[in-house]
Amino acid sequence: MKLCLSWFAPILLSTVICLPFAGCSVVRITLNSPITQEDVAFIVPGQTTLTEVITKLGTPDSITDSYTGVVATYRFLDMKYSRVNFGWLLRPWTPVDPDLIISRTGLGTDAFELLCDSDWVVTHQSFLRHLSGPRFNPYPF
Amino acid sequence: MIFRRTLPLLMLLTILLQGCAFSRGTLGDDIRPEAVAAIKKATTTKAEVLSLLGAPDRLLQVNGRDVFQYYRYDAKVGSLLLIVLNFSRLSIKSDDLFVILNREGIVEDVISSKRTEGLEFRFWPFGD
Repeated sequence: MKLCLSWFAPILLSTVICLPFAGCSVVRITLNSPITQEDVAFIVPGQTTLTEVITKLGTPDSITDSYTGVVATYRFLDMKYSRVNFGWLLRPWTPVDPDLIISRTGLGTDAFELLCDSDWVVTHQSFLRHLSGPRFNPYPF
Repeated sequence: MIFRRTLPLLMLLTILLQGCAFSRGTLGDDIRPEAVAAIKKATTTKAEVLSLLGAPDRLLQVNGRDVFQYYRYDAKVGSLLLIVLNFSRLSIKSDDLFVILNREGIVEDVISSKRTEGLEFRFWPFGD
């Protein structure tokens, strides 16, 4: 009996540990490296040129024209997706593949925009939408 | 003798890499650094830029100048598939090149950066 328990205990323990994670998927997608307020602190409107910004931050993702000058845009994205399939808990005991899935996706998009005059000097700078990053949370309700 | 030494190592690697997946996707052609270096400010013409790099991915008109934009995207996915628990992470970065031409069709400025150089396969989705 004692031998049986010593053999069974690790299996039971590992099953109990694994159960909460059964059928879990965690996915993350990132586009470019996020730019923070500290990264752009060196920019002084009216003094810093676009060339100086590019030296530190790299090339922007797009450059567009406007009535008052040039707009340079740096884009970055952070997407988090998590999913739990509770059907996994029943799979050892049923002949069919049951699925009971809850999942949730969070999309945090952001862009840093610079407005430059005709001499390529930065006149304005701003984050488009400085969203806080989404969290992994599969609960959709 | 070498076979005896490498076989256990190969077997160990095979066991350790079980459930790992590596995927990669690219969009656009590689922007050759030697072609970018060949473009000289105030000297190179529009026709020479086209012969060096081909047609641009995007043609913009900015600040009264023509801007040729070339880009390339690189995506790497690392997945750890542990049957009951799966982790996956997709990282995308781009290389961009802007060639600014003046009204006479001469290169005024060249702006380029290669962000894909530091792109790595990552599995762990948490943290930065």
